[in-house]
Amino acid sequence: MSEMLEALHPPPAQVARPMPPALFLLGCGIVALSLVMMVVGPWIVPFDPGRPGPDIGMAPPSLGALPALAWAVLRGLPHAPVHWFGTDETGLDVFSRVVAASRTDVAIAVGANAVSLAFGSLLGLAAGTARPFLAGLLMRVSDLLQAFPVFITGMILVTMAGRSELTIVLALALLYTPIYIRLTRAEVLAQRHRGFVDAARALGRTELWIALRHILPNALTPALIQASVTIGLAILMTAGLSFVGAGVRPPTPEWGLMIADGSNLMVQGEWWPSLFPGVAISFTVFGYACFSNGLERYCAR
Amino acid sequence: MPAETPILRVRGLTVAFGGERAVAGFDLDIAPGEIVGLTGDSGAGKSTLGLALLGLVRPPGRILGGTVELEGIDVLALDEARRRRIRGAKIGLIVQNPRASLSPLHPVGQQIADAYRTHEGGTRAGAAARAVDMLRVLGLNDPERRVHAYPHEVSGGMAQRVLIAMALGCGPRLLVADEPTSGLDVTIQAQFLDDMWQSARRVGSAVLLMTQDLSIIANYCDRVVVMQDGRRVEDAPTPRFFAAPAAAYGRTLLSLRREAPPAGGDGPVLLSVRGLRKVFPLRRGRKVVHAVDGVSFDIHRGETLGLVGESGSGKTTVGRCLLRLVEPDGGEVTFDGIDVRRAAPAGLRRLRRQLQVVFQDPFDSLDPRWTVADIIAEAIEDRPDPDVLARLLRDVGLDREVARLPPRALGLGDQQRVNIARAIAVRPALIVLDEPTSALTPLARVGIIRLLRDLQVRLRVSYLFISHDLSTVAHLSHRVAVMYLGQIVELGTRAQIFDQPLHPYSKALLAAHLVADPSRRRVDQPQAEALAGESPSPIDLPPGCFLAGRCPQAEDSCRAARQEVAVLADGRALRCDRVAAALA
Repeated sequence: MSEMLEALHPPPAQVARPMPPALFLLGCGIVALSLVMMVVGPWIVPFDPGRPGPDIGMAPPSLGALPALAWAVLRGLPHAPVHWFGTDETGLDVFSRVVAASRTDVAIAVGANAVSLAFGSLLGLAAGTARPFLAGLLMRVSDLLQAFPVFITGMILVTMAGRSELTIVLALALLYTPIYIRLTRAEVLAQRHRGFVDAARALGRTELWIALRHILPNALTPALIQASVTIGLAILMTAGLSFVGAGVRPPTPEWGLMIADGSNLMVQGEWWPSLFPGVAISFTVFGYACFSNGLERYCAR
Repeated sequence: MPAETPILRVRGLTVAFGGERAVAGFDLDIAPGEIVGLTGDSGAGKSTLGLALLGLVRPPGRILGGTVELEGIDVLALDEARRRRIRGAKIGLIVQNPRASLSPLHPVGQQIADAYRTHEGGTRAGAAARAVDMLRVLGLNDPERRVHAYPHEVSGGMAQRVLIAMALGCGPRLLVADEPTSGLDVTIQAQFLDDMWQSARRVGSAVLLMTQDLSIIANYCDRVVVMQDGRRVEDAPTPRFFAAPAAAYGRTLLSLRREAPPAGGDGPVLLSVRGLRKVFPLRRGRKVVHAVDGVSFDIHRGETLGLVGESGSGKTTVGRCLLRLVEPDGGEVTFDGIDVRRAAPAGLRRLRRQLQVVFQDPFDSLDPRWTVADIIAEAIEDRPDPDVLARLLRDVGLDREVARLPPRALGLGDQQRVNIARAIAVRPALIVLDEPTSALTPLARVGIIRLLRDLQVRLRVSYLFISHDLSTVAHLSHRVAVMYLGQIVELGTRAQIFDQPLHPYSKALLAAHLVADPSRRRVDQPQAEALAGESPSPIDLPPGCFLAGRCPQAEDSCRAARQEVAVLADGRALRCDRVAAALA
């Protein structure tokens, strides 16, 4: 993107400018919104996302009717309850469920990444500093984990340990830990021969102290950048697992589940129960991708 | 100086980057056959000026005004197409980092030939023959074969000569050389500059040589121009510049000449190294690299031992072995009566605090995430008193304000001062200084040398000063050891080594060394001590003397017998049986 812009607008006098911050700012906005919704989403929705209402399979208001409805709601005029995204075939409000589902999806993705980042960076540090034999063993085990088709591993784990949010977090964490091990190890290998590491050794610091105080903090940057991409991917993964029936339990508001439930109705012309959660997923994943891209450029400078 | 009309005549040249003037109203004349040295601290605008002479400027900058007349034609007034014809044909440019300036995809001969044909035309075959001629003129053996080599297949010295061949191929009237020898070993640097000096004198072209190294200027330049903040602050014939520099820049750099190195170095023995050996196994096969091979020396309390040698001679490995940052494979290291090699981990950690180290790259040696205060505090076990910190900073000539800053906010010279502060914080008896000044600008280097001398007097600390730069070693060392391929070939007092070297390698090293003194120019002296060829690989070392293949005085016995160290009557150690026998 920035290369294109530079090609279109050659000098006057540009010193290697970083990516136009518009996309990065958009990414920041989406990431922030997703995190806020994760916390407050279920509390601010207009309908209870778990209790069916009387309207079954109701279409969202037509585009023409939207301005009048919005006006009525904003002015606090008396009005019938609005199902902005319609209702599904059990009478649940799609809008409330899409908003409430961000707690499930984003929390699982963030949790899984926090767990795998913590374990992955420590194991990566170990793999980068341990004796060659142990380091080799650790890397081969993580290769083995990575070599399994991600979806199948996830399905097996969830089937064995039961369908709960915690199981999914652990399944995803297991899948993503090797990524962090590999990234951290590569950076540790680069950092451990830096001058300040030898200088600390010359000051009589122990190897463990040096590893934790000098090497690890300087080796974390790539892993942190990776985390913002992986959170986006983990949201896709969580939804995907639900879609194939290996994710969270059905009544829970969750984007993948909603798409799966609504997919049968698509052929009958009821597009709204599937489309809106799908848009929510794309929007969130895109936001995390923009965020990580901008972060990477910022750190590379 | 030749009084004829100048080849280059620059008037009021001004180049600006945004609001800042990198070159401000610069005037410069260069006569035919004249070599002018342009010097000044980093950021003075030397490189920008050099490019502007060709009508070039790095993107954000703009040439605001002035004239650059080359034999009466104003280069800046020409349109781009005509200017391009002048570049290369009438102005040759040699930049830093020769290998990066060559295209890795084409043989070097073709690149020389292409540059020639671009300006002179002619047939492909004619240009190829011209490339071979150029390389032969520049003293390359077997140019017919070498023209087919790719840039990655040639040595740094040869890559630099290919660049000169490209720059001189069309017989330019003006040659602009920007730090042409930075990153080259001294022997190759001397060869290159000799070549350039001779070709300029032969064809009578003008040369503008940009360098921060005053010894290069003393040896090869007729006139010195000092640049500061884009302005010319001094313009003097070389002898006058070295006798009485007018600008502060030259005065500071040359001030060290008049100061004797600190006295001392006669205390009891502090560190004793005997038969130190270190081999690095190669990844493939059973062969090993002999990095350090039977090195022995003593360092006394309050003394500086200089360890010199070219890159790859193993001098850095010696320093790292003393602290056991790499484990030696053999030999004895005794520090203050303690056997360093047999020290247990806890004892070693205590020992290391007596034995500190300062590395070459100051920025790499400071944790980028820590502040200066944290970095120095790391050396002190307990929570440091702000006054202790301030005193340490003052000892190394820094403000107490810098304590709050991250290392990247400091210049390289100040970063090295922080490294030194961390090293002296534990009150060590010996500091291994591993090329502490080679990453610095000459101005910062002078400051660090002063600081090291001053600290030695005040703290009675000993130094092992490792460097490839003989001038710096001369400023600091009481005794000097010369290393070649992992062995010390000669060890003696500073006067012995610098004034009367005995080993053929020491002689060659000193002959290649440029002294910042225009009355002792290398080009005026006979070149008898040059060594042939390049160092053998440290993997397959010859059975006899390692230097035998290159030494002009080698005899059959040198090639057969491994050379042992002999201690001569005047106290110096020498690893050359032939010379030792002749003196005995």
